[in-house]
Amino acid sequence: MSSAQTAGPETLGRMSDEPQGKDPSTKKAKSITGKSPMRIAMGRLMRDKIAVVCLATVVFFVLIAIFSGVLQRLFGVDTDTVLPSQFLDLDGIPRPEYGPPYGAFTMEHPFGIAPRTATDNLAYWLEGARNSLQIATLATVVATIVGITLGLLAGFLGGVVDKVISFITDFFLTLPFLLAALTIAPIVSERFRDNPNYVTIQVTQLVLVLAFFGWMGLARLIRGEVLSLREREFIQAARVLGMPTHRVLLRELMPNLAAPIVVSTSLMLPAFVSAEAGLAFLGIGITSRPSWGQTLTQATSFFNDYSLYLWQPLLGIVALVLALNLLGDAVRDALDPKTRR
Amino acid sequence: MFAYVVKRLLAGVLVLFLVSMSIFLLFWYGPNEPARVMCDTKTSNRCNAERLDRFTEELGYNNAWYAEYGDYVKGVFVGRDITVAAQTTRCDAPCFGLSYKNGKPVWEDMKDRLPATFSVAIGGATLYLLLGVPLGVAAARRRGTVQDKALVSSFLFLSSVPYYLFALLTWLFFSLKWEVPLIGDTGYVPLTESPTAWFGGLALAWICLGIFGCTQYTRYARGAMVEALSEDYIRTAKAKGLPTRTVVYRHGLRAALVPIVTIFGIDFGTLLAGTIFTERIFDIEGIGLWSLRAVMQRDLPIVSATALFSAVVLIMANLIVDLVYSILDPRVRLS
Repeated sequence: MSSAQTAGPETLGRMSDEPQGKDPSTKKAKSITGKSPMRIAMGRLMRDKIAVVCLATVVFFVLIAIFSGVLQRLFGVDTDTVLPSQFLDLDGIPRPEYGPPYGAFTMEHPFGIAPRTATDNLAYWLEGARNSLQIATLATVVATIVGITLGLLAGFLGGVVDKVISFITDFFLTLPFLLAALTIAPIVSERFRDNPNYVTIQVTQLVLVLAFFGWMGLARLIRGEVLSLREREFIQAARVLGMPTHRVLLRELMPNLAAPIVVSTSLMLPAFVSAEAGLAFLGIGITSRPSWGQTLTQATSFFNDYSLYLWQPLLGIVALVLALNLLGDAVRDALDPKTRR
Repeated sequence: MFAYVVKRLLAGVLVLFLVSMSIFLLFWYGPNEPARVMCDTKTSNRCNAERLDRFTEELGYNNAWYAEYGDYVKGVFVGRDITVAAQTTRCDAPCFGLSYKNGKPVWEDMKDRLPATFSVAIGGATLYLLLGVPLGVAAARRRGTVQDKALVSSFLFLSSVPYYLFALLTWLFFSLKWEVPLIGDTGYVPLTESPTAWFGGLALAWICLGIFGCTQYTRYARGAMVEALSEDYIRTAKAKGLPTRTVVYRHGLRAALVPIVTIFGIDFGTLLAGTIFTERIFDIEGIGLWSLRAVMQRDLPIVSATALFSAVVLIMANLIVDLVYSILDPRVRLS
């Protein structure tokens, strides 16, 4: 067992093919046949070059998000507001000595400074990455929990519970996410504007709105899987043995649902990253913290003179969303090679 | 068939009732001081506690919510009179209340903005089909070739990028930077005023929506065509000596179109319900941009009216799709 683990992807890669050794009953061949489906999938994923590049990109962004504060201190930059007039010319464009568009990059502000506000771009970019990933991750966690719970209940209990949950799922699928976010944003800001915890409330609201419009797909998927699994012998055996329902659900059903959950979670993340930036771009996402979407809006009006300012958040969003999306596709292919195009 | 239609209609009415009530309740219990914006506007920002109380009373926020909800629904169907600050405004059906900012009935402004959204939706949806289906069919016929693979992978790439970035870049380059004549000047001009300006102002928005939205249709059309072309009746048609064109479009495509009709109905409904990103980026004065502005100004009656409108459009679209689908494929009625 341990020898196969240290052997890494090479060994795992070979095991889906015919046994390579002269004698298939040697110790090594035996230890390989004991691999779980998840590890076989991992092996397939690691052999997929696009997936590895995407994984590296995602890891890069995750590290940036985690160490945003450290990186900012390292580069000596921060998101504090400054007095703009001292850094900008009369059009609101940074003066040449402070960096692009007319000057060279400086060490004090590696990404340049923003037009109109003269804040540091690198600090805003790093914080934007952090907020984006933080909100997307939280929303994914909440949506996954809601989706799994409702899907399990609907599929396993059936009857009236199934009817009600399926109706709620269809109901939520009808509602357009963007309009719901647009409707809820002014209400929340109206209610909590003067609250000292406004920043936290806004983030929580955004996470909840994203999650509440992202769980339906997973719930449907889980329900379908459970419907077919619950008639299988091992579930019947567990019930005959008198296993309590919650144990049947968690111990018997859940491990069989791991693959669909992993796939849909990995495709939820890019959707939420994209949605977060999109809402911020429209001005109905987070407004009290830096976000790539906000920078995008501000940069639009300076595009002709200072296009670099726009490319920074834009490339951030594209790279992260694209990497997460392609990684999600690769994970799906790895778990179920039949779907590969 | 009749029983199915009645069942679907009843479900639609139930969903409509639930949605309208949730929107109403959200705007009823949501804001702390619902009358604040109206009060600020009417008193030129000299709103104090006493005046706020008066406006709260006048706007009906001291009454029970179900009574006010009843009034709201009645207003939508037959219209009603609304009295604010000793000034009675006749709000004709469909009445969605008065705007907090300019005091006019919401519907009066809304009906001026609907044509813009409809224009965007109709043009975009047409391109979905015009680009998506032929590309999908062509890819299916050349399955496995380099062209097919290039198309599939480039569309996979395209659909992985957020739509608003694609639209924003299109606008930035075509409109702002290169100032392309005719299509560079985006915005909405009524068709009756100047057909060329109408077309030019919306062309970029349509192209963006079309290219981005057609990826899904290409995928579906390709998948369905690949499946259809391997059926026995296609081989029979070929064996009979029918021309390839007839085999592909008459026999193959017809079978492949049923699922496409379904997603098209929903997509068209979604577009009609509001194309917020498109309108915001291309500066088209439709209901999406309008409600976005209302959000910024905290003009809640407008926001609730657009939310309600979109919900109605989407529910209707779902209903129509279900009914059409049951005609195209009678098996659904039984399940």
